[in-house]
Amino acid sequence: MSKAKTVHIAGKDEAGRVSSRILEERIQEAVRGGACNLEITAFGQHGIGGRIFQPQGKPVSVQITGSPGQRTGSMGSPGTTIEIHGPASDDIGWLNAGAEIVVHGYATNGACNAMAQGKVWVGGNIGSRGMTMTKYNPRFAHPELWVLGSAGDYFAEFMAGGIAVICGHEAQDPTNVLGYRPCVGMVGGRIFFRGPVHGYSQADAKLVPISDEDWTWLSENMVLFLGRIKRKRLLKRLTVREEWQCIVARTPMEKVGGKRRSMAQFHGEVWDKELGRGGLIGDLTTLDRSPIPLITTGNLRRYVPIWEHRKYLAPCQSACPTGMPVQERWRLIREGKVDEAVDVALAFTPFPASICGYLCPHLCMQGCTKNVAGNLQPVDISFLGKKGVSSKPPKLPELSGTRVAVIGGGPAGISVAWQLRLKGHDTWVYDLEKVLGGKMATAIPEQRIPKEVLDAEIDRVRQVLPHVHLQQNLTHKEFEQLKADFDYVVIATGAQKPRTIPIPGAERIIPALTFLKNAKLDNQPVGKRLVVIGAGNVGCDVATEAHRLGAEEITLIDIQEPASFGEERKEAERAGAIFRYPCFTREITAEGVVLTTGEVIPADTVVISIGDLPDLGFLPETIATDRGFVLVNENNQTADPQVFAIGDIVKPGLLTDAIGAGRRAAKVIDEMAAGKRPLVDTAWLKDYSIEYSETSERIDYSRMTLEYYDPRITEYNDMEHCASQCSSCGSCMDCGLCDAVCPTAAIERKDLGNGKYERIPNPDKCIGCGFCGRCCPCGVWALMENTPMG
Amino acid sequence: MPANTAITPSTLSQRDLPWQIDWDIHTCTLCGRCTAVCPVNAIEFGTFRKRTLFTPPLGLSDNRSQGLQHKPSSSSSIYYGIRQRTDPAYACIGCAMCNMVCPNNAIRPLKSESTDLLRFHRDRGGQPRTRGGRRNSDDSVLDQIKFMRISMLTDPALDAGRHEFELRTLIGRVLPPAEALKTQREKGWMPPVREIYPLMIGSMSFGALSPNMWEGLQMGVAYLNEELGMPVRMCTGEGGCPPRLLRSRFMKYVILQIASGYFGWDEIVHAIPHMKEDPCAVEIKYGQGAKPGDGGLLQWHKVNQLIAAIRGVPPGVSLPSPPTHQTKYSIEEAVAKMIQSMSMAWGFRVPVYPKISASSTSLAVLNNLTRNPYAAGLAIDGEDGGTGAAYNVSMNHMGHPIASNLRDCYLNLVKLGKQNELPIIAGGGTGKNGNLAANAAALIMLGASAVQIGKYVMQAASGCLGSEGDRCNICNIGRCPKGITSQDPRLYRRLDPEQVAERVVDMYVGFDTELKKIVAPLGRSTSLPIGMSDALGIADRSAAERLQIKYVV
Repeated sequence: MSKAKTVHIAGKDEAGRVSSRILEERIQEAVRGGACNLEITAFGQHGIGGRIFQPQGKPVSVQITGSPGQRTGSMGSPGTTIEIHGPASDDIGWLNAGAEIVVHGYATNGACNAMAQGKVWVGGNIGSRGMTMTKYNPRFAHPELWVLGSAGDYFAEFMAGGIAVICGHEAQDPTNVLGYRPCVGMVGGRIFFRGPVHGYSQADAKLVPISDEDWTWLSENMVLFLGRIKRKRLLKRLTVREEWQCIVARTPMEKVGGKRRSMAQFHGEVWDKELGRGGLIGDLTTLDRSPIPLITTGNLRRYVPIWEHRKYLAPCQSACPTGMPVQERWRLIREGKVDEAVDVALAFTPFPASICGYLCPHLCMQGCTKNVAGNLQPVDISFLGKKGVSSKPPKLPELSGTRVAVIGGGPAGISVAWQLRLKGHDTWVYDLEKVLGGKMATAIPEQRIPKEVLDAEIDRVRQVLPHVHLQQNLTHKEFEQLKADFDYVVIATGAQKPRTIPIPGAERIIPALTFLKNAKLDNQPVGKRLVVIGAGNVGCDVATEAHRLGAEEITLIDIQEPASFGEERKEAERAGAIFRYPCFTREITAEGVVLTTGEVIPADTVVISIGDLPDLGFLPETIATDRGFVLVNENNQTADPQVFAIGDIVKPGLLTDAIGAGRRAAKVIDEMAAGKRPLVDTAWLKDYSIEYSETSERIDYSRMTLEYYDPRITEYNDMEHCASQCSSCGSCMDCGLCDAVCPTAAIERKDLGNGKYERIPNPDKCIGCGFCGRCCPCGVWALMENTPMG
Repeated sequence: MPANTAITPSTLSQRDLPWQIDWDIHTCTLCGRCTAVCPVNAIEFGTFRKRTLFTPPLGLSDNRSQGLQHKPSSSSSIYYGIRQRTDPAYACIGCAMCNMVCPNNAIRPLKSESTDLLRFHRDRGGQPRTRGGRRNSDDSVLDQIKFMRISMLTDPALDAGRHEFELRTLIGRVLPPAEALKTQREKGWMPPVREIYPLMIGSMSFGALSPNMWEGLQMGVAYLNEELGMPVRMCTGEGGCPPRLLRSRFMKYVILQIASGYFGWDEIVHAIPHMKEDPCAVEIKYGQGAKPGDGGLLQWHKVNQLIAAIRGVPPGVSLPSPPTHQTKYSIEEAVAKMIQSMSMAWGFRVPVYPKISASSTSLAVLNNLTRNPYAAGLAIDGEDGGTGAAYNVSMNHMGHPIASNLRDCYLNLVKLGKQNELPIIAGGGTGKNGNLAANAAALIMLGASAVQIGKYVMQAASGCLGSEGDRCNICNIGRCPKGITSQDPRLYRRLDPEQVAERVVDMYVGFDTELKKIVAPLGRSTSLPIGMSDALGIADRSAAERLQIKYVV
């Protein structure tokens, strides 16, 4: 077959329309047969002219007349030239892989969809979705679409490569040559266009200036295009450079970020502009609302640590009725001021050795944080107390002129007299007994308080109080005389009248007080068997003494579980005493104690120890009483304001209660004398370097950190050991733990001179974590919520 | 605890708490940040004592003929760390702020795997637990709903990425065409209707939210409207509205809420003559999903200068919002007179609709509204709604799920032929497991014209730490660690309004894309598929039957 031979293939034959499949078979057959020039009279067949692979690789020309169907030239191959002599239907050049297609007329929708190579020249307008999904494969040249007129809607959607040239000549819509919403999703390629447009997807594409190189390409290829579509005479009109524009796809980098205003800009330029300075509520508040970090300092901290040094009472001091500042004394020891630590006790009690060292059940130790909150051994005050036996009498101030009579030379009386004398008031003491010291001297067994200790302390009292009148049995009249002679009278006669029970044989019973007094003078026969009715601590003392005096079987009976405790109980148990309860006594016979059960507890001696009552016989009626005790107000003042009452005559208590009451009454009297009630004056403590307060509350036990103390320590060797193991509750001991623990090194220790100092957290560094408070053995740091804002 | 401390019935161990602090001694630097940041003081610095025993080897030496070579001994040392408090009042809430500030990741709360015992001790002093937050249930019917009518070569399948969408909804009474034409012709009163974005920010008051949070939300809404052309609306909640906002053009993005406390309404009345724009709508709150039938009390100590100014009260007084409006005697009266009053305030130019807790009585309210020409819609809040403060029992056990309640109401409108006339706004747990667009689309296809969200915005826009696993949930005590629900500047300044606004925008733009990804395959682009229940399916036969949607497995 000659090269120039043209093969005609008709889309319609005698049988009617040739189906697309048959027409395609005929075209392929012709090409396989070597045909290079095909003329096809189309009759709506699909996909004409595509997929032509000439065996010798020669170019193939396909001339189409009539009406080609959709997808003419689809999957077109390189070397194929298709010329449609009239308009083209949808999807012209679909998935074109290299064919050159000329359309002498318009093309409808979908022109060049998915075209990757080749060229499509359209001598009119195109419909919608032209040049969509086009590609550029770097192995080949860019695909090209040339349109003489305009593009329809949704042009260049998802265009990914290639070049489109829209000349805008006799556009279907002269006001918009690219149609509605072109370039959506465009990622590659370029579009040259001439004429107005109604925008394009700014997010995907952008206008760029036409470079000289572009222009050269465009104008040169325009010649070719116009030649193909046979409209050469338009060349001049279509090559006015200023009329052309170019759209290219944005790169992925250019798509990042939008044209949107930033929120900061919006805030300033729109929001605050409309609302006013400070935004939404700028008119209602001046509070700074700018952002802050999670961890803040200064005023922005949620919590602030406060160094509450000596704001609260240590539990030991708080527990002690005498008000002894125990932890301060341990501090003095730690500071090496042993004498001072021992002697300062005299400011609080005339009997530091007798009571703190021996007789007291040590409420300070019971209340000690280590005992209450830590299950640890409390520091042992008796070491300090015992040392007090050798303390010299304190220096006495000159007499003020105020004179006070104290009736009763027991612990309460001596305490009030001692304190009053320390404050400079002339105090006279009257007592019934032969010796000074009350029950301490006359009734409490020597086993519990060595005679030489008590004697030494009584001697010291005598040095401070020269006017002691013993064996003075006061009457009504004498009491009135005392009132006349003195500015104030303090009644401290204690409880001397034994309580007893009205049962048959009661006359056989010896009151405990009588027993103990006699026993102390070794003047009490006891026999082998002794029964004590009432198993409290006094009963225990009776048992101990009876044992010393030769009793062998000692039984203490009580109607309820015995209330005895401490040393007294232990001593009685060591003496072999048996405790029995509940036992109710019916009568006392020569055999012993007969219980209501009929049982007889054999006894040679029966002692009753169910408490003592005050003897109020000498008091005038102006002194009010209640159920056998003198009635006082919170200042220990009786109904007669000139008369005070303290000790067991007011309410039965411990020795330390009596000492404390004496101290408090002395303070009140002192202040009344000075006319300055209710001021607190502790000036008399100035000789000692301790700080003292009675007005504050006890520190909360949970504030102290006790992990530093060894639970295996169950006894102490000496004062120094005790001092080292005191947690110094409520008072900073300057250990420096908080300074070291603070994560921001915010705690600053400021020296105030005279050995004083304070700790202040630097607000610029402190973050309010509360570490300081939780490492502090003394519990001086409190973490407070910061002052509310806003 | 100290060895000699007495225990009480409420003495708990760490083991008994719902959240347990896991602290690592090896990596902790003792920097103090965790204890400084903990909102409830659940952790504190700890001083610990450690004892070590020294046991010498067995053998013969030191004149000891048998047994140990030396005397055994022990010694103690002190170490420091972080201790969790076990007092119920200071129980860890699991917010994990400690972990957030820890430079070495040395501390974190872990959720107890067994039932905690704390829950039995949260009524000390006879005060039952109250909390903010959530119902603490992951269950969600909305999450189970699938959209299964995908256009496959059937209807025009739309491309969510390139297609143009008009996802808008109407709030207001829409007259049927004949009536509308007649009204127009006779120049009668045409009920106001707003075309808005179908996802609304539900009512959270200024007071329940911090100033920075509230401003951030409003700013984000304004940005969406003015920069992105999305007509998003936000409801004020009950607590008034800042005077500046009332007098700004942003007012049109705002739905004003009036509730039983009427807080701030005198200020709003004063502002009416100065308003540049009418509000979008007025919402009359009769109930909320989180605590149906229960009211609230803003405690006096939270009523600071700012809150007081906005609510129009003196500072330092408690502000009660009773469960009911004091002048509510019947549905007819309450709804009719409230809607009429609120409509009148803006010359009948503003749509007014009531908001109720989802309830088996919702239908009665709805039916009543259909007969009220001024009713602009009905907002229904389901049981999964969040709250700033509520009793545990109200939150966990009171209320009605939104899906079936909404469905009943919508189908009832269909029965009356008014489904295009009275919009239903649904809310309560939308997006509670993170599936905001899917949940919202499900509600829309079940019949909602719009969807309201609250908790989701808090989580997405401001990083709320709350979860359905009872994490954090202390919105009610003013100690929100993110500064969302606190009036304390030390807390709310942690929140930058600008960043909140930005997150609101991100959230909405993201939601918009997701919503398109749902509706485009269904072939919808220009009208919201309200009530398009043929698209819905669920793998639960009972739910399918109840909701009248397809059962698919």
